[in-house]
Amino acid sequence: MKFLKLFIPVFVSIFLILSDYRFSYLDNLRQFTATLISPIYFLVNLPSQLYIWIDEQGTNKHVLLNQNKQLKSEILELKAQLQKYNSILLENNKLSNLLGASYSLSSENYTLAKITSIAQSRLKKQLVINKGSRDNVKVGQIVSGADGLVGQVLQTTPFYSAIIMVTDPTHFIPLKSERNGVRGIGKGRASNVNQIDVKFIESNSDILLGDIFISSAIDSKFPHGYPVGRVSHVEKHQDDSFLHIVLEPIQDINKIEFLLILSQENDS
Amino acid sequence: MTANRPYKYLLKITFFALIISELPLPDILYLASPFWILLFYVYWLNFFSARGGLFLALILGILLDILHGSLLGQNALALILSSAFIINIKQSFYVSNLSTQQVYMFIASIIYLVVILSVHILIQGFDFSYILLITPLSTALFWAPVQFFLSKLRH
Repeated sequence: MKFLKLFIPVFVSIFLILSDYRFSYLDNLRQFTATLISPIYFLVNLPSQLYIWIDEQGTNKHVLLNQNKQLKSEILELKAQLQKYNSILLENNKLSNLLGASYSLSSENYTLAKITSIAQSRLKKQLVINKGSRDNVKVGQIVSGADGLVGQVLQTTPFYSAIIMVTDPTHFIPLKSERNGVRGIGKGRASNVNQIDVKFIESNSDILLGDIFISSAIDSKFPHGYPVGRVSHVEKHQDDSFLHIVLEPIQDINKIEFLLILSQENDS
Repeated sequence: MTANRPYKYLLKITFFALIISELPLPDILYLASPFWILLFYVYWLNFFSARGGLFLALILGILLDILHGSLLGQNALALILSSAFIINIKQSFYVSNLSTQQVYMFIASIIYLVVILSVHILIQGFDFSYILLITPLSTALFWAPVQFFLSKLRH
């Protein structure tokens, strides 16, 4: 009897581990329970939200006016850059039509979200944002910062979502070199330093320090062309047919407050 | 008073443990922080004579897995096995002095750590931060304040 009391819960948890790892049958249970316990996120973030609110109330009018001016000039600059981008996009579509190519650039919609907390698991690098299923956020959507890709939506509740970062050791992303198109697979490192290892790039490939790796649309889950990391270390081993490449993420997570959740037009 | 309503007390301290385990901390502090749920649950196991300790460990572990976005069952298995150890030595634990209790907590948290790392290594490979290895020590050290706080909460 004593053995059964131990055996049954152990068996159930091993069954859960295997089924969660191999299949997605338990996603609905996970989603439902996550929704039930989501007030915990709210309570955890309450002190920091309160601090931000008090801080905002006390902000000087002069500072706000200056900030407003600066933001207006930044918008103007970005609008000018957008005009150039739109003309390139049009040109690209025309050339694609002329060549009869089936590839075309997909257009994306963005949802703005605010980071509420970072790292909530010992073995995963995650962050929590203030947008959830109520705002149409779905598991698997790509999350980007102003400078580059940040990660992917892992779990959603009505008011919050958990994002797994590209630097997480359990996260894989197809990458390609911006300079010469060499492809590899990015995988985060478990160390405290945010870095990404690039795997499966042959040892005779041309990779230099400072090269930028961008996301590749090869598995059709990630959009093409978002900057992910800059090469900080390249090593060639005699007995290994692949290069050892380390990237520093382009988007510094400690410097951002807001994120963009990308949804391709056919998602919604 | 609370001794008559052990499950209500468990619900209260679980909620509290989940909130503490979610508090945003710098990376290093977070990795080295104690296994809060284990600390709180061991206190409950020792000071309340309620039934179904291992099944409750399973439920609490699943809640933690969902909250942390971990593999479902990972923390559950770790909490079940470390609770089984504590239940086995319950009588000795109850009458021991604080430092002996801390040694028991150290062993229980080593079991917890070994289980979560084993599952992680088997499924995702040998890739984790070594700061995690401090966790059993911090769990043992935090046993004294947690015990003090929870006994105040109980009365």
